Amino acid sequence: MIPSNAAWLVLALIGLAAAIALAGLNELTRERIDQEQTARAMSAVTGMLPADSYDNDLLDDSTTLSIAGFERVAIVYQARMAGEPVAAVIDVTTPRGYSGDIRLLVAVDAGGTVLGVDVLEHRETPGLGDRIESRRSDWLRQFVGRSLNDPEPAGWAPDRRGGEFDTLTSATITVDAVVDAVRRALEAFESRDERLFSDPQAMRDST
Amino acid sequence: MSEGTANIWRNGLWDNNPGLVQLLGLCPLLAISSTTVNGLGLGLATTVVLLVTSAAVSLLRSALAPEIRIPAFVLIIATTVTAVDLVLQAWLHDLSRTLGIFVPLIVTNCTILARAEAFASRRPLAAAVHDGLAQGVGFAAVLILLGAGRELVGHGTILADLDLLLGERFADFSVQVLPFDSGLLIALLPPGAFIGLGLMVALRQHLIQRSQPEPRMVREHEEPAQS
Repeated sequence: MIPSNAAWLVLALIGLAAAIALAGLNELTRERIDQEQTARAMSAVTGMLPADSYDNDLLDDSTTLSIAGFERVAIVYQARMAGEPVAAVIDVTTPRGYSGDIRLLVAVDAGGTVLGVDVLEHRETPGLGDRIESRRSDWLRQFVGRSLNDPEPAGWAPDRRGGEFDTLTSATITVDAVVDAVRRALEAFESRDERLFSDPQAMRDST
Repeated sequence: MSEGTANIWRNGLWDNNPGLVQLLGLCPLLAISSTTVNGLGLGLATTVVLLVTSAAVSLLRSALAPEIRIPAFVLIIATTVTAVDLVLQAWLHDLSRTLGIFVPLIVTNCTILARAEAFASRRPLAAAVHDGLAQGVGFAAVLILLGAGRELVGHGTILADLDLLLGERFADFSVQVLPFDSGLLIALLPPGAFIGLGLMVALRQHLIQRSQPEPRMVREHEEPAQS
C-alpha cells in the first residue's frame, strides 16, 4: 500500500516537531553536560596529588605523550612548585583489557616513582575485573612507591605470570593490562622528550 | 478507580506484565539488573518513556493513517528516548554513566512499540496514560526485584551506590545483608540474569496455579508485537 499524500505530510510534520524539540533540548542541556564531564575529569586529576604539593594550575598545564605500543596518546598534567617540575598525572588508555579499553590515571613524581594509580573507565567483568577499582579493593595501592627499576623489568607482570604484582583471582588479563599500562606510562615518562615540563610560556606560545 | 483502569493496572503489574509474561525488552532487563539501583534507574527511565510515548501516540491516533503508523511510533519513541538520555546526562550524570548504552537502547525495547501499537493507538488519552504507567511500573518492578536478588546473592548488599541516583546524601545507604564481599559470582554475570528471571517467571506461574488449578487465559486479547 502506498501512503497517501496526507499520510506523508503527517509523518513529515511529526519528524519536524521531533527535530525542533530535540534541537531545543540539546541547546538547553549541552552546557550542563559539558560542565559535568569537565568537572568529573578535573576532580579525578587533581585528586591524584596532594593539593599543597604544587602551585600551578594543573589542568591548564597539560601536554601529550605518545606511549610505545599504544595507538592513543596519553595526556600529561604537569605539576610544578615555583616553576620546578614536581610531579605529573598521566591519563593513559590501554586497549588490552578483558573487554575493551581501560583508562587509568598514573601519578608520578619528577624522579619517576609512582605516587598513585586510579581507574577512570573500564568495562571489565562485574565482580571479577572490576575489583581493580579503588573503591572495591586495595589492589591499586601496590603500585605506590614503585618505579621502573622496582621491580626489575621482568617483574612488571602479574605473579601468575612470574611477576611481582598480586593477581586478582580470575582476572589475570585485566591485571596484566593495568600493570602493562602503568609500566608503559613510566617508560614514556622516563624517556620523555623535551616538551615535557618545558617552559609553560613557550608551550603556550606553541599551541 | 473505574473498572477499566483497574484492569489496565492489573494487566501491567501482573496478568500481562511486560517482563514476566510478555517477556519483552529482555535485552535491557537482563543486562542492567545486576544491582537494585541500576534496576531502579533503568526502570524509571523506561517508565517515563512509556508514559510520554503512550500519551503522544494516543493524542495523534486519529491523524495517523495505518500505513505510516509504525514509522510514526518509531519516530516518537526515538525522540523521547533521546530527550530522556540528554536529561539524564545533564542532571544525573553519574547514573547515566552507569546505565551507559542501555538508555539509548530503550529505543529497541519492544515493550514500548508493543504498547503503542496494541493499546495507545486505539484508546483515549487517559487510558493510554494509565497503561503506559502501569506497564512501566510493572517492568520497573521486575527490574528492581531481579536487581535486588542478584545484588544480594552476588555482593551481599542491597541498595549499594544509591548515591548515583539520589545524590551524595545517600552514599552510605547501602545495607550489607550477607556477610561477604564477593559472593556467588554467577548471579552478577549474564547467566545469573537468565536464571533469576526464570525463577521469577516460575514463581509467578506457581502462585497462579496454586490459586486456581486451571491455568487462566491471559486477559488481554491482543497479540504482543514481535520483537
